[in-house]
Amino acid sequence: MSKSNYSVIGKRVGNVDGVEKVTGGAKYTVDMVLPNMLHGKILRSPHPHARILNIDTRRAEQLPGVKIVLTAKDTLGRKNGIWRNFRDLCDEEILCREKVRYVGDAVAALAATDLETAEKALDLIDVEYELLPAAFDPLDALHDGMPHIHEDFERNMNVYRQIEWGDVEEAFSQCDHIREDTFYCSSQAHGCLEPHCALASFSHDGKLTVWTSTQSAYYTQLLLSDMTGLREGDIKVIKPHVGGGFGSKLSLDSAQYCAALLSMKLTRPVKIVLTRAEEFGATKRRTAIHYKVKLGAMKDGTLVARKVQAITEGGAYTAMGGTALYLTGFFSSFPYKFDHYQYDGFRVYTNNETASACRGFGAPQANFVSESQIDMMAEDLGIDPIELRIKNAITPNHEIPGQATIRSCELRQCLEAIDKWIKERGPLPPNHGIGVSAYGFMSGGIFNWIDTPYAFSSALVKINVDGKVDLFIGANEIGQGSNTTLSMICAEELGVRLEDITLHTGDTSVCPVDLGAWGSRQTLMSGNAVKMAALEAKKQLLEVAFHTLKPNVVYDLDIKDRRVHLAERPRRGISYFDVVKDAIRGKEGQAIIGRGHYTPHGKGMISPAYSFGVQAVEVKVDRQTGKVELKKIVTAHECGQVINPIGLEGQVEGASVMAAGWALTEELKSRNGKILNGDFRDYKMLLAEDVPEMILIEVDSYEPEGPYGAKEAGEGLTVPGAGAIANAVYNAVGVRITQMPLSAEKILQALEEKKRTQKEVDPFEAVA
Amino acid sequence: MYLKCPVCKKEWNASLKVARHIFGNGDKAHRAWVNSQGVSFTDLLIRQATGSGNQGFMVLAKIVESSQDGTSGVAG
Amino acid sequence: MERIISLRVNKEDYKVMVRPGESLLDVLRNRLGMTGTKECCNEGDCGACTVIMGGRAVNACLVLAVEAEGEEILTVEGLARGSALHPLQEAFIKCGGFQCGFCTPGMLMSAKALLDENIDPTEDEIRRGISGNLCRCTGYVKIIDSIKEAASVMRQGESDE
Ligand code: FES
Ligand code: FES
Ligand SMILES: [Zn+2]
Repeated sequence: MSKSNYSVIGKRVGNVDGVEKVTGGAKYTVDMVLPNMLHGKILRSPHPHARILNIDTRRAEQLPGVKIVLTAKDTLGRKNGIWRNFRDLCDEEILCREKVRYVGDAVAALAATDLETAEKALDLIDVEYELLPAAFDPLDALHDGMPHIHEDFERNMNVYRQIEWGDVEEAFSQCDHIREDTFYCSSQAHGCLEPHCALASFSHDGKLTVWTSTQSAYYTQLLLSDMTGLREGDIKVIKPHVGGGFGSKLSLDSAQYCAALLSMKLTRPVKIVLTRAEEFGATKRRTAIHYKVKLGAMKDGTLVARKVQAITEGGAYTAMGGTALYLTGFFSSFPYKFDHYQYDGFRVYTNNETASACRGFGAPQANFVSESQIDMMAEDLGIDPIELRIKNAITPNHEIPGQATIRSCELRQCLEAIDKWIKERGPLPPNHGIGVSAYGFMSGGIFNWIDTPYAFSSALVKINVDGKVDLFIGANEIGQGSNTTLSMICAEELGVRLEDITLHTGDTSVCPVDLGAWGSRQTLMSGNAVKMAALEAKKQLLEVAFHTLKPNVVYDLDIKDRRVHLAERPRRGISYFDVVKDAIRGKEGQAIIGRGHYTPHGKGMISPAYSFGVQAVEVKVDRQTGKVELKKIVTAHECGQVINPIGLEGQVEGASVMAAGWALTEELKSRNGKILNGDFRDYKMLLAEDVPEMILIEVDSYEPEGPYGAKEAGEGLTVPGAGAIANAVYNAVGVRITQMPLSAEKILQALEEKKRTQKEVDPFEAVA
Repeated sequence: MYLKCPVCKKEWNASLKVARHIFGNGDKAHRAWVNSQGVSFTDLLIRQATGSGNQGFMVLAKIVESSQDGTSGVAG
Repeated sequence: MERIISLRVNKEDYKVMVRPGESLLDVLRNRLGMTGTKECCNEGDCGACTVIMGGRAVNACLVLAVEAEGEEILTVEGLARGSALHPLQEAFIKCGGFQCGFCTPGMLMSAKALLDENIDPTEDEIRRGISGNLCRCTGYVKIIDSIKEAASVMRQGESDE
């Protein structure tokens, strides 16, 4: 179907939650209050590694207003983790029993009538610790004789993953040129504006309701069931509006678990909101990674083989770090055709805050490394870096042995569009440079790590007598715009208007299961489920309309903008509203219901579809201070049929800025496991003043697996930024930074180093 | 010449590839076999991670080669 | 000890009991139930709690409730006129000036204070006007567009009057 035929999708419509969000009416978990509610607080370890000898809660319990203090003794003693079919990787008790493993590990939780009392009571809990030696650097932690952070994991080796195809060793021996480089990617805080929080209410009938800021209400329900012993069906998770996720609100967190436990013991509502310091120090963060990369090419620029080794700094627990480890390995081959590729990834426990999922999920790290090295290779070979990329770019229907089949891919067009933009930009002022990075990203992960028999996404559509449509989805809106996108898909498929759709979402007791917002899965996976549900409902209407309109076959009918008509002769039609009434009468008064679901099958190891793009960043480097100023960010990308353009652009812009912050200023500093800059004053996220002009170039593409040909966009744009900026800095002032972040100090240092070595070289040149 | 994984009998054309497979699989049976050869699975993995070349995996590759004649015990 | 103060919020008068160290933000959210104004860092670093007090944008988490006595306070809840949205609110919807929406109330109030001062700000002035407000979702581009759009609508409105 040609694009112009769509009446809802592709249109610049306002966000369906817009009015609530601009009037202050939108309720987030932090805003929720229940009658008789108590306030909970969590006591956290000040030590990176220590044995808990004793916890004395008596003084705290005696403080007037304190209702209860809980420790690991009061739990079932289970360990939590999202990879439920790998029990040894479910390693987080949340309330620690024997040991604490990082500064911030939880040791006790309490509830009191007001927040001040709860805070005061924390100081009255006496914990006796035996301090243990700690390991902070993954390269140290692997050494013999270093402390064991988890007893069952010898030498702190948490997970090892390998990926390979072809024969790299053999291939390197045939290459004209080989580079070997090392890189380091730093961590990043998620920086959600709404902190992790939960309000739990356990009732006398044994049912638990939890309102919480989560990326997957369903995961929260399952993981709470694991940890509390309640049946899934006795736990209702409600997700109000969520103030950002970025990967941080996917595992079961301490606020959710402790609020639930406290409420279960007291049969009263308990609310826990993490402080900003806890957000920085006691949640999760992006994985820091050390890389060794070997790249082999032919003189003509053909990339032949790449071998990547990554050692990731895991922190105290596994969480979803194993997936980041795998994905950084897979995406280190992107977005090029390598006949020979090998990856070894080692995830190491340390006594730091756990590294887990963070927007991009290992791919931004992979891209910084590989796209820096591609530019270095291009320079070695004397080939234009864009030309080198075009020569090796993934093309449609490319198969990556044992891993993935890439169907739609317009990477080449994206590269050409960026090339054109750079040429038009012309010569740059001094100390300016443009750097380029090409990337690809997934449209929803295939991993069923939680181990559920349910479909990955499901939806239910109910058409009522007035023509209004109730859409029930388990998908999780967290700001990415899925409520709008999925409502648009439903309206388009049914042939009604956006305002005809009433969305029901964010309540596990009402909405069908969906795995939630991670891995850029909602547009493609939830979108397919919604489309299927809408189509099933629509068919029931068409069966009824058939008798009035009498086409040859029912497939000749369609619905557009509330009219049921002959597809070929749109003017012969009848009102959607009349058909709905007839259909309900004909069904003995039942509403029309359609059900839809989606689970990828036979789509490789990673994702059913991939999006591609290229980003060019123009920077200006101040030679006196080393400071990088962003001048322009230009992105050419392809994401299949665009469903929700405003949402899409916003995702691209936001992700690009988050990536630029990671590359330049967002450095989580720590000493002895303690985060030193755990607030928004010292942890520098970019501000409106730092953000440059952004230009978006949409390249047409069509993904057969996606709804209307759509695939992901948004999360993928956290991928290219750091590499493009590193290349831009090099092109501006000639220093190659391989250790993130690209801080002013580091660049200044490199500039000075360069000056020194040039001076040393000069006399030699004079002689020569 | 083809070399077999002593545990699951899958075949490769080089002993280093068999060694990689054993580490990549890493299940109880494969671990146990490595540890039964007088070396430590974890130690070799870490040697591979921190050393240069294929230090850790080469050690196992040698063991795989000598296991082909069937003199070494086969676990699992 | 606690004492009763009178606050004027969104053109209505309230008598509220406050503790000496209690912030305006706490009073708005916890005592008056006006949760539109967001709490995020509680240290004056993020701007999510921005309200307009005496015509100026302030971080409500840094203002003591007692200091707000007698001041005219405007929060996001008071921005619309009846059921008619403020041009800024309209523009944020039209241009996509929010995603998760958590920074939005503060952004709107900073933008309002800016436009109250200067109805025709340059792009740089807009950027500076919201440089105390963090947004993790949008990358600011569409927020800046929204404010530009609102300014132009408001200028139009003025010249129509
Ligand atoms: S909550 Fe007031 S500035 Fe952050
Ligand atoms: S819209 Fe989420 S922080 Fe701004
Ligand atoms: Zn085997």
